[in-house]
Amino acid sequence: MKVKTKETVVAWWMVFPAILVISIIAFFPLFKTFYDSFYEFGLRPDIERKFVGFGNYVSLFKDSRFIAALKNTIFFTVVSVALETAFGLLIAIIVNQPFKLRGMVRAAMLIPWAIPTAISSQMWKWMFNDQGGIMTRFLENLGIIEHGVPILGMPQTAMWAIIAVDVWKTTPFMALLILAGLQLIPEELYEAARIDGANLWQRFTKITLPMLRSTIAVALIFRTLDALRVFDVVFIMTRGSVNTETLAVYNRVLLMDRAFTGSWFGYGSALSVVIFLLISIFAIIYIKSLKLKLD
Amino acid sequence: MRKFVFVALLLVLSVVAFSRVTITMTAGAVGKELEVLYAQLDRFMKANPDIKVSVMPMPNSSTERHDLYVTYLASGEKEPTVLMLDVIWPAEFAPYLEDLTADKAYFELDKFLPGTVKAATVGGKIVAVPWFTDAGLLYYRKDLLEKYGFKNPPKTWDELVTIAKTITAKEKNVVGFVWQGARYEGLVCDFMEYLISFGGDVLDDAGNVIVNSPASVKALQFMVDLIYKEKVSPQAVTTYMEEEARRKFQNGEAVFMRNWPYAWSLLNDPKDSKVAGKVGVAPLPAGPSGKSAATLGGWMLGINKNATPEEKAAAKKLVKFLTSYDEQLYKAINAGQNPTMMDVYKNAELKKAAPFMVELYGMFINAAPRPRTAKYSEISDVIQKYAHAALTQQMTAQKAIEEMAKELNKVLGK
Repeated sequence: MKVKTKETVVAWWMVFPAILVISIIAFFPLFKTFYDSFYEFGLRPDIERKFVGFGNYVSLFKDSRFIAALKNTIFFTVVSVALETAFGLLIAIIVNQPFKLRGMVRAAMLIPWAIPTAISSQMWKWMFNDQGGIMTRFLENLGIIEHGVPILGMPQTAMWAIIAVDVWKTTPFMALLILAGLQLIPEELYEAARIDGANLWQRFTKITLPMLRSTIAVALIFRTLDALRVFDVVFIMTRGSVNTETLAVYNRVLLMDRAFTGSWFGYGSALSVVIFLLISIFAIIYIKSLKLKLD
Repeated sequence: MRKFVFVALLLVLSVVAFSRVTITMTAGAVGKELEVLYAQLDRFMKANPDIKVSVMPMPNSSTERHDLYVTYLASGEKEPTVLMLDVIWPAEFAPYLEDLTADKAYFELDKFLPGTVKAATVGGKIVAVPWFTDAGLLYYRKDLLEKYGFKNPPKTWDELVTIAKTITAKEKNVVGFVWQGARYEGLVCDFMEYLISFGGDVLDDAGNVIVNSPASVKALQFMVDLIYKEKVSPQAVTTYMEEEARRKFQNGEAVFMRNWPYAWSLLNDPKDSKVAGKVGVAPLPAGPSGKSAATLGGWMLGINKNATPEEKAAAKKLVKFLTSYDEQLYKAINAGQNPTMMDVYKNAELKKAAPFMVELYGMFINAAPRPRTAKYSEISDVIQKYAHAALTQQMTAQKAIEEMAKELNKVLGK
């Protein structure tokens, strides 16, 4: 009994540094943002700090720009994550088959994921450019768009272009995670199924998918959380114009453009909290519905 | 022995290093700006061996520079020591800038264009020194206009449309008119020019929102018509900033371009430009009101309040040097950025290098300022949003102007 208590104390001391670091870098800023969201203030020294309770949240849900950004964010998240999962699964299954140069293909597949988003977004922005952008040419030649149409300057096409870039970039990440999951499925299961006479589709739906459930859940959580706070690709490609503004892009306007002009910092903090809560809701839904065990 | 020499050398070096004041300054890289600045700083450091200036290059977009400044200044950092400020920022950043009112004589501010000094004055305090000034200009292809029998550049917007249509109907791969229509600060500059030349404005002198007027609707409608009805501007202008427009014009693919003076020296560089020697510059055309308007642009140099006294002293020396007669002349000739000191416009060398600067002097000193208020960023954001919504046909011009007025009133608390 005594030994056990001693061990617990030692364990606590060993975990303590980690808890301290997490508190400083994660919990403190989170708490501060929550705290700030109940105040009306700006960063300009002559602006007074005023407690407004839930006032910022109330005005947030009356703000049509916020509602539009919320819709855009959810649309972006649902479409891009769905496409990434579908393509990721397909690619993972393909590269899990033995074929010549498989190692090389697996490595090459990761290139889009390895390029920093800021750079790949700028690169795609040029490819979507109306003057000699290769994507513009391509889509023009296919007859999908008319000559001279700026893809990133049109409400009908800009969001889809952004989603395309995100799918291009993050499908490899999905594929890699799912591939790792695929490799954990014991070959005997498939053998047994074949002996029982299961066809390809049955083997996929009865073995592969159920065995991949927790892998896909983790991958979905990662991607969804990332997508809900998407900033870089949108900001670089359209700066949030033509109906592509997402919550994080709107938050930049509040926290940067307006930091010194008025009492917007608390409002921006409230928006940050809403993004945080939105992400938590999605995470909980995934964990519950996919019966994921966290420990 | 070798060790001793090494240690001694290190010691000498560190003494030398510590006796020098190091200051940082932010700088833009539009066109030849940065190259010219490096040459100027070399001269400055040779004349002042006790000061070391390091440059922090900034993004070209003014909106992104603003974000960086917010981060630096709000954190109370002493760097950057010298800040390059857009003409619209002094009111907003004033609490973080060193008060230079007492140094008015030192910087010889009475020799500067009065409009630029006024823009650097907030609540009676001078917070920055005007570095270069800007005004929107109409660049045109002299060769193409001559070829189709047009002797003069257009005096009115309607004339511009007619000329552009005539030329583009016959010339291949040439569009009529390029300008800045992306959703960013530059759109506000372009929008203000149409607005004022059509007889409208955003705020009156008392700060009341007066944008909701038939003139404003007509002005915005005209911008929309340039793209969709007259088709003289490509639809892609809604994604263009300065450099996109310049590249198109420089490749010989446009008849007219609205841009700032910096484009002049680049367009006339025979190495990179397909239109060198074929370009003319004129004031922007007039609208139905008979007025022509150019938005006042330009940048100033301010000093960070959080810097140490030694750094501030060195910074003042640097600002004085960069805004002196000789350096303004050098910058005007090599980077094509307009001087803020009146006497420089009388210089014969400048007249040879950039004749339009001297010829259009009257226009530069009368350039129209954007709304002057500490809330400028918010106002600009609203104007960008609704003007861009109209340009991309998400809203009619009428509706965009109405919504703009409503939201501006909200921002200004009226």
